[in-house]
Amino acid sequence: MTGDTDDKPAAAGKLELLLERLDEAISVLARARSFAKPGKMQRVFETARRVLLQEGGCGALEARARHLEEAGIFEGSDWASPQILIPSLSTHSLQSPVEDTVMVEALSELRLLAVALGDYRHPLISQEQAHHYLTQVLAINLTMLFTPPSEAERETQGRLAQVSRRLLRHLADRIGFEHIIDKLIEEIWRVLQQRPIQVDSVKQMVTQIAVCQANPNIELGGSGQGGERLVSSLYGPSLGCREDPGLEVYRERLQRMDRGALQGEATGFARAMHDTGLVSPYHPVLLHHLLDHGDHLLAEALGLSATGRDCMLCYNELVRELVRTAVLPPTAQAVYGLALMLERGILYQPPVAPAIWRQINLPLSEWSREHLLAAYGHDAPPEARLLEGVLCMLGLPLGVGQGNNPTCQSARALSMWAYNDPDYLLQMVAWAARDDEIVMHFEGQPISSQDSVLGVAKELPMDLDPLSLLVVPHLDRIYAEMGRRCVAREGDPHRWVNPEFHGWWAGRGFSINVDVETGQLVDLDRFLRHFYACYHPYYNGNQPLIHPQPAGIAFTDSAARFIGWHAITILRTALDPQDVMRVYFFNPNNDSAQDWGDGVVVSTSGRGERYGEASLPFEQFASRLYIYHYDPLEGGELASVSDEELERVKAYLYRSWGADRIPATDLQASPANPNDSH
Amino acid sequence: MDKNPDKGYVALLGWSLNAVEAAEDFDRRYIVVAPDWAEDYCKQHDIPYVPWNFERLNDRSMEIAQTLKDMGVDVAIPLFEETVEWAGAINSLLMDNPRLLGQSMLMRDKSLMKRRAQLGGIRVGIFEEAHDREDVMRFLRRVNQTLLKLDGDLNDPIHFKAFDKAGCLGHRVIRTPDDVDAIPEEEFPALMESHLDGWEFAVEAWVHKGKIRFLNISEYVTLGYSVHVPASPELERYRPQIRQQIEKLIRTFEIDFGFVHPEYFVTSDDEMYFGEVAYRPPGFKVFELLERVYGFNAYQALILVFDPKTKEEEVAAFFPKEIEDAKCYAGCFGVYPRRRVVSRLEIPEETEDHPYFESHELTPPLEETVTKRTAFGTHWGLLFFKGDDPKQMHALLKRQEELDFYV
Repeated sequence: MTGDTDDKPAAAGKLELLLERLDEAISVLARARSFAKPGKMQRVFETARRVLLQEGGCGALEARARHLEEAGIFEGSDWASPQILIPSLSTHSLQSPVEDTVMVEALSELRLLAVALGDYRHPLISQEQAHHYLTQVLAINLTMLFTPPSEAERETQGRLAQVSRRLLRHLADRIGFEHIIDKLIEEIWRVLQQRPIQVDSVKQMVTQIAVCQANPNIELGGSGQGGERLVSSLYGPSLGCREDPGLEVYRERLQRMDRGALQGEATGFARAMHDTGLVSPYHPVLLHHLLDHGDHLLAEALGLSATGRDCMLCYNELVRELVRTAVLPPTAQAVYGLALMLERGILYQPPVAPAIWRQINLPLSEWSREHLLAAYGHDAPPEARLLEGVLCMLGLPLGVGQGNNPTCQSARALSMWAYNDPDYLLQMVAWAARDDEIVMHFEGQPISSQDSVLGVAKELPMDLDPLSLLVVPHLDRIYAEMGRRCVAREGDPHRWVNPEFHGWWAGRGFSINVDVETGQLVDLDRFLRHFYACYHPYYNGNQPLIHPQPAGIAFTDSAARFIGWHAITILRTALDPQDVMRVYFFNPNNDSAQDWGDGVVVSTSGRGERYGEASLPFEQFASRLYIYHYDPLEGGELASVSDEELERVKAYLYRSWGADRIPATDLQASPANPNDSH
Repeated sequence: MDKNPDKGYVALLGWSLNAVEAAEDFDRRYIVVAPDWAEDYCKQHDIPYVPWNFERLNDRSMEIAQTLKDMGVDVAIPLFEETVEWAGAINSLLMDNPRLLGQSMLMRDKSLMKRRAQLGGIRVGIFEEAHDREDVMRFLRRVNQTLLKLDGDLNDPIHFKAFDKAGCLGHRVIRTPDDVDAIPEEEFPALMESHLDGWEFAVEAWVHKGKIRFLNISEYVTLGYSVHVPASPELERYRPQIRQQIEKLIRTFEIDFGFVHPEYFVTSDDEMYFGEVAYRPPGFKVFELLERVYGFNAYQALILVFDPKTKEEEVAAFFPKEIEDAKCYAGCFGVYPRRRVVSRLEIPEETEDHPYFESHELTPPLEETVTKRTAFGTHWGLLFFKGDDPKQMHALLKRQEELDFYV
């Protein structure tokens, strides 16, 4: 070993020695009793990391994947159930400064690679699933694959950053590049179909694709076709800026364009925007130019329909002022918000237009300004940022997300107000942004957001749209305070909090199927029959839902295990194009397309959903529901739902979050005896 | 593993996962005696357990002894310095031998220990007890006067050790009056010793029926930093003398069974000086190194020699032949951060790429600012090495002292 002069044999010898060490470490782990395994893992991770950094190391680990798993390297962690792993979480693990975290992720992915390539038949995950998972992991971590570590990564990870890169390179080599780009594009389109307000991360991914396409060293083969539209919608949506010439050059070009050319520009931008929901930074430049060219071109550049155009013409001065103050290249998304707000016709509600005028001139408090600048930087004035947020919220009420914060109630309230009560929302924004205080009333008693210190969120949320950024901290504190005032009451506090917090239209009648004391299911049949009677068109006299209603679901993961209680809004119930009765709802989670396990997969497009809506077949939805509101003055007659249908709903429930919540008596009676209905 | 009812039933005093693991895989019945924070873990993993909070011996000490006796336990084995006197107290009841308590108290007081050694005819350095800083100043001055130092000459250091702390905890090297001032009040009383220029090493000896059954010499490359097993041939040369010394030690301390872990110096004139002795497994994972070198589990060896029901043949069959059966040299190095502000753990490439490097147990830093080390303190984790050449091992361990692991 010591006498080697030639480099190659030395490297090969080194890998060999390391593999010997690794195999020893694996067998120590394999021999250890389960309680002692955690103590033996670091040695495996440590040695595996050094193996991985050698030429051929990834392959050697891939070959040992089964051996590693059987020795227990994933025992006691989520990685032991590969079927529930979520691709988007891999980024966090791979960029972790903690070696063990990086390595458990790396080893898990090499294991799935062995599964995907058919070398390892896994009891819990199929070859196709593994392949699908890995392409998503690659798509999401594309940046790491093609670019060297950023300064931040180097600072936190040091040489560990190389581990992640080597791993991804190996995965890409084995899986094939064409899968990645296509997957990424598919993923972006899927997210965009939900028309989120926050699109920064999508814009980053599109930029990533543009970078790959421009790099001659990356062989994309036939893939990446669907990416053209995405890239062009951001970087060259029209003839005048096709080659991404820069904002200044484009502004000059506009000066020399005749009406026909401007018409072409306007159509190009409008089409790109409505196709993708993404707004190019060139778009505001065009709009500002068109302010001097009459209404037709302006309406054209916003891509307005007859409704939107009509609304724009009625409120012409307001629209133009909004373009002047809110629409800047860094706040380009305001264009889309403005266009959709006009399409919704909400300006015709008397208080809305004056409230928007107030918003345009609203002086921001010192705290609001600083908070906006801290979250969004100095590219645009904070007032314009907030206006962008207001326009987007009014245009895309279902595009609001809670970010990475436990504030689903606040996000839901904002969405509901934007959807149903826009001038109330604008009032809230004014109070929060100008006065740093919101006062709401709970059963006649005022609650000020300044008096309650503690909200649900432990830290001030930063990853939100501009409007939420300012309003959510207030709402969160008020919501938490309302909850505190219900502490002594029996039963679930949402009964009283939801109507007071969201608005008069939230039904005062309240149904819950979980006993708060014991966590056991209670009165399930009645709960479900009543839900059918209130919400299902076949049982409620074909009455469409009038107001959005808050509801609570038992959130389950892709293995149908209970994760927690979650707030959503029921928007409507209707037949989808395939004549399946579906509940359409708003989920304040940032991406509503979720797999809730046991075949319950939330759909976000293609089944009659409007932008931002999520949907499930009625039965499946009912099986995850645990709280809903209703008007106590309306009937209360239970629906005569067939026993078979009810049993199907209950079976979904018992197979998921209800599995360990069945009271002893129910367990004997109901699954075995379907005639047990009351 | 199936337990043999004809063999002893042992109690492990203190929580050590490695010890539990070894006991689980051995044919003796065992029970863990540990503070109540270990309870959930033990329940979860079906580890036999009785809760006990080891504080100072007090009136209630008999309670745990009686509990263990009622359970049919034959012997208690101390795993940490703090449980040595508890083992003595418990075993004096279990074995109906009051002398065992006194013996364990000797092991827990560095000053009494030295005097006892001296009485037994074992060579020790100059030592004294210190109750305040004044005592330390006087001792420092006197030692250096004895060495015929003049004012302004660099002082020879003295060693300052808290009475009842394990290993390097509370161990300070004192050279100047400033060092004396830096000693916190709570470290008194303490033992002071003159510094001996020489070769410091430690011994691990398993004793059964008054005889040494296995003797390992652990060579310190730098005290508090690094150790390797077995010792280099240069030190192993002294093995016969060292064995004699340990036999003398066992006689002096009247040790009939169990495990001793003494520290010695060899000076340039081949004279052995006794440092101190502990009646519990050594820190610094020497047990793990031994397993890598010889393949036997040192904790099981511990249980074997403590168990009063162990038969002579089993002991003879259990231990390998010292040195002859060693498969390699194994060493470990305790890492201390060298910088004042650190942000992450990064093993130097030079270390990682060395063929002797095996693994590490370092953890990422929890705080960015490193507390200044006063005494020898606790290292942040260990590096493990394994190889065939003692010279290279020695140099490698020494070299690690100059590298940054936290940057």
